[in-house]
Amino acid sequence: MKDKSKHKIIRKEIYIIAAFFALIFIAMIGYLINFVNKRSKEFIYNEYNSRFSVFADDVTRGNIYASDGTVIASTSKNEERKEYRVYPDGSLFCHAVGYVGKGMAGLEADYSFDLLKSNIPLEEQINNSLTGQKSPGDNLYTTLNYNVQKAAYDGLGSYDGAVIAIEPDTGKIIAMVSKPDYDPNNIAEEWEELTDESNKKSSLVNRATLGAYPPGSTFKIITSVAYLRFNGGSEEYSFNCRGSYKIGNYTIHCSGHKSHGKEDLKKAFSNSCNSAFANIGTTIDKKQFRETADSFLFNQELPTMLKSTRKSVFKVDQSSSDQQAGQTAIGQGETSVSPLHMCMIVSAIANNGTLMKPYLADRIESTKGEVISKTTPSAYGQLLSTDEVAKLQDYMSSVVSEGTAKKVDFGDLEVYGKTGTAEYTTNKNLTHSWFVGYSTDASGKKLAVAVIMESAGSGSKFAAPLAADVLKAYYE
Amino acid sequence: MVSVITSFSRITILSFVLIFTAIDIFQMFEYKMSDSLNSILSTIQAVIVVVFLINGSVVLFISKNNVTIIGLLFLELMLFTGIVVALYKTATPISRALINNVLLFMSFGFLMLERLKLNTAVKQLGFTIASLIITLMAILIIKNVKHVSEHIYFYAGIGIVSLLLVSILGRVEYGARTSFAIMGIRIQPSEFVKLSFIFFIAAAICTYRDYRGFAIATIGSMLHVIVLVFSKDLGSALIFLGTYAFLIFIAYKNYIVMTLEFVLATIGGILAFKLFPHIQTRFIAWSDPLSVIDDKGYQISQSLFAIGTPGWLGTGLNNGMPNKIPIVTNDFIFAAIAEEMGNVVAVCLIIMFMCTVFILLMIAHETANNFYMLVVSGIGIIFAIQTILNIGGVIKFIPSTGVTLPFVSNGGSSMLSMMICLFIAECSGELANKNTRGTYER
Repeated sequence: MKDKSKHKIIRKEIYIIAAFFALIFIAMIGYLINFVNKRSKEFIYNEYNSRFSVFADDVTRGNIYASDGTVIASTSKNEERKEYRVYPDGSLFCHAVGYVGKGMAGLEADYSFDLLKSNIPLEEQINNSLTGQKSPGDNLYTTLNYNVQKAAYDGLGSYDGAVIAIEPDTGKIIAMVSKPDYDPNNIAEEWEELTDESNKKSSLVNRATLGAYPPGSTFKIITSVAYLRFNGGSEEYSFNCRGSYKIGNYTIHCSGHKSHGKEDLKKAFSNSCNSAFANIGTTIDKKQFRETADSFLFNQELPTMLKSTRKSVFKVDQSSSDQQAGQTAIGQGETSVSPLHMCMIVSAIANNGTLMKPYLADRIESTKGEVISKTTPSAYGQLLSTDEVAKLQDYMSSVVSEGTAKKVDFGDLEVYGKTGTAEYTTNKNLTHSWFVGYSTDASGKKLAVAVIMESAGSGSKFAAPLAADVLKAYYE
Repeated sequence: MVSVITSFSRITILSFVLIFTAIDIFQMFEYKMSDSLNSILSTIQAVIVVVFLINGSVVLFISKNNVTIIGLLFLELMLFTGIVVALYKTATPISRALINNVLLFMSFGFLMLERLKLNTAVKQLGFTIASLIITLMAILIIKNVKHVSEHIYFYAGIGIVSLLLVSILGRVEYGARTSFAIMGIRIQPSEFVKLSFIFFIAAAICTYRDYRGFAIATIGSMLHVIVLVFSKDLGSALIFLGTYAFLIFIAYKNYIVMTLEFVLATIGGILAFKLFPHIQTRFIAWSDPLSVIDDKGYQISQSLFAIGTPGWLGTGLNNGMPNKIPIVTNDFIFAAIAEEMGNVVAVCLIIMFMCTVFILLMIAHETANNFYMLVVSGIGIIFAIQTILNIGGVIKFIPSTGVTLPFVSNGGSSMLSMMICLFIAECSGELANKNTRGTYER
């Protein structure tokens, strides 16, 4: 049959086809390797994936640390060798870090997968699985500063509300407190009470990220920018305050019915003059007002590296009435924000207009200290121009030097801020106390903060002094 | 104790698979290997197949505490012996590496099925034993038929008629009409039509060796494909289309025709995408499965959870949750292997499949007889496309098309047709000597 070989139709083409298939197979292998190594991490963290429970059989859940290495959460064993989670500081970090027990929440939920992965050397893992020992899970280092967190937590005391502090040039969340709180050590025991429908406290909700508060006078920051944009960048403005301002049949009063007299924009800002800002609200173009609010991230998902945040609401547009625009300009009306959002706006101002995306998880380390993954600060973009930043800094500085926060003791710090007193019911005596602002020390190190104390009273009397304590704790 | 054994077995199983794969790769690149070295390596591979199967079975026996598994192990080893003996009785097999690879694939399949659903595994073993017997009869027939390379219209006829019958009378499963049930046994004719289809194209080309062969092959192929598209069996349609295009390329060496076919196929694909909503939903399930996880994306999402969650080493046999994936025993068995035996094994498995494709194409390359050269090429091409469609679909490399993984997935029809393919490839030299009249000798 040898003679047949002469008549071979072809041969080379088979090699071409083999090479073609080889390419696809190799691409497929590359795709699989890439998926397992990188992309799977994000993909598999899903409520439909029931495999997580099994991990705990091989790996002891890793620890969570504050930025200085203080343990926030660790795993312990009871006499029956059953593992449980320990939070040494009780409720201090409860909303930021969350809990394990009745399901999971906070960082415990978001980083559950990483905490239950062990990146110790493979031979040790194999050795452990052969001897039936659990491997230690990787540890999570947060951006939270223990002392600042403590100052915020203690300062808030028995008030409901939230405090959040962000490092403006990185987006690191330095402190995050929400009250009412709960003790994550006893989450199982307290579960019934915490989730009771008739219990209106909603202690499990992280008000710092999910709270929906009327911004009150802190919103005048945005109204000011809207005016600057309406006025072609010029801060030229003049208003004679007589203690109240009429829009049709509706009257807006200044705090304590005080007449501020003749004011420019800076003066109106530092006095937190409602009449002047209501006047601005009715003066500026409503479409532009809306665009300014949207440029400050209202009505959209906040650009953060956190898992759950809340969209802030701003409702004025071309179809709105003057009354609505006037109310909105002083932070009342239908506008609502989260403390996180206000803190992001202030930190953008502190960072020359550039917003850095806030984050809580700094890095994952194996128990051997090897860094497995590290969050790199990432910029969202420019919220406002450097010119606008300079003017706002001037205004916010005057709030502290001669305005509503004049009496607050900020120590040696250079502070830029805005107080707020937000009505949240028709009862004008019940008000939330706001302070948003940032500080720098001689070295130029900055911290932005937002404080809200529910039903506390005026911003200058309650929230601003608490903010001062938080800021001072950061520089100690 | 049980967990120590399963954990430890992850490492032993991984080691076996790594050595086996290394030999596969080595044999691929070492052409001038001495026969004795080749023989030693193949013997090592054969031993690994047996040890791998025993290791896996013991783990399953201990963790499931079911003695049936030991019984199955015994039968499986007998079956493997039977396959090897049958091959040597039919002819001297051309490649021992091919036998080793196929037996290892079968071992993967048996172990995974026993782990997933014992009843299914018992049935599948029964089908495989029956497949061996039927294959021997089929080979006997092929050997004794006169002028195998000349029955063009017979091959095309049974292929198209079978596909037509199933598209009209078959059962609808997962949106496609692909199977009959005869006496309680589900039969998927498209699996066998793959064989008649290769024979048809090879026969058409070898009979005429000019544009007539091309024309007949083209018209016949398009008829096959149209019926398959009509039955919504897109996976099979792609396999047939690809096999046709590549075989024509091998036979006529025409790059322009090849390019043209690919262009036409792309246009056809885009048209199909625009016209058929079920293709669009598959596309969405592929591009963003989590967005439709409640519905069309559920299966692929679960598959990716299974692959991505345990990582490189896997959970160990019987320690994962592969049963969370719908119809895991058929189309998604690769995900179950990746989950429990680990992704290193999964990558090795892809390499083994690639090497098996190479071996098949090499056998084709060395086959003197043109008809069998084309037939074995066709087998290699079908094997390659089917593997790529299956594994690619499971790992979300491409949209899922619902085809089986050769020799591994559950399914009697697939096993039988693949077994026949194995025997034809291994014995192609002998078959060629017996029953073709070289058309060029006339």
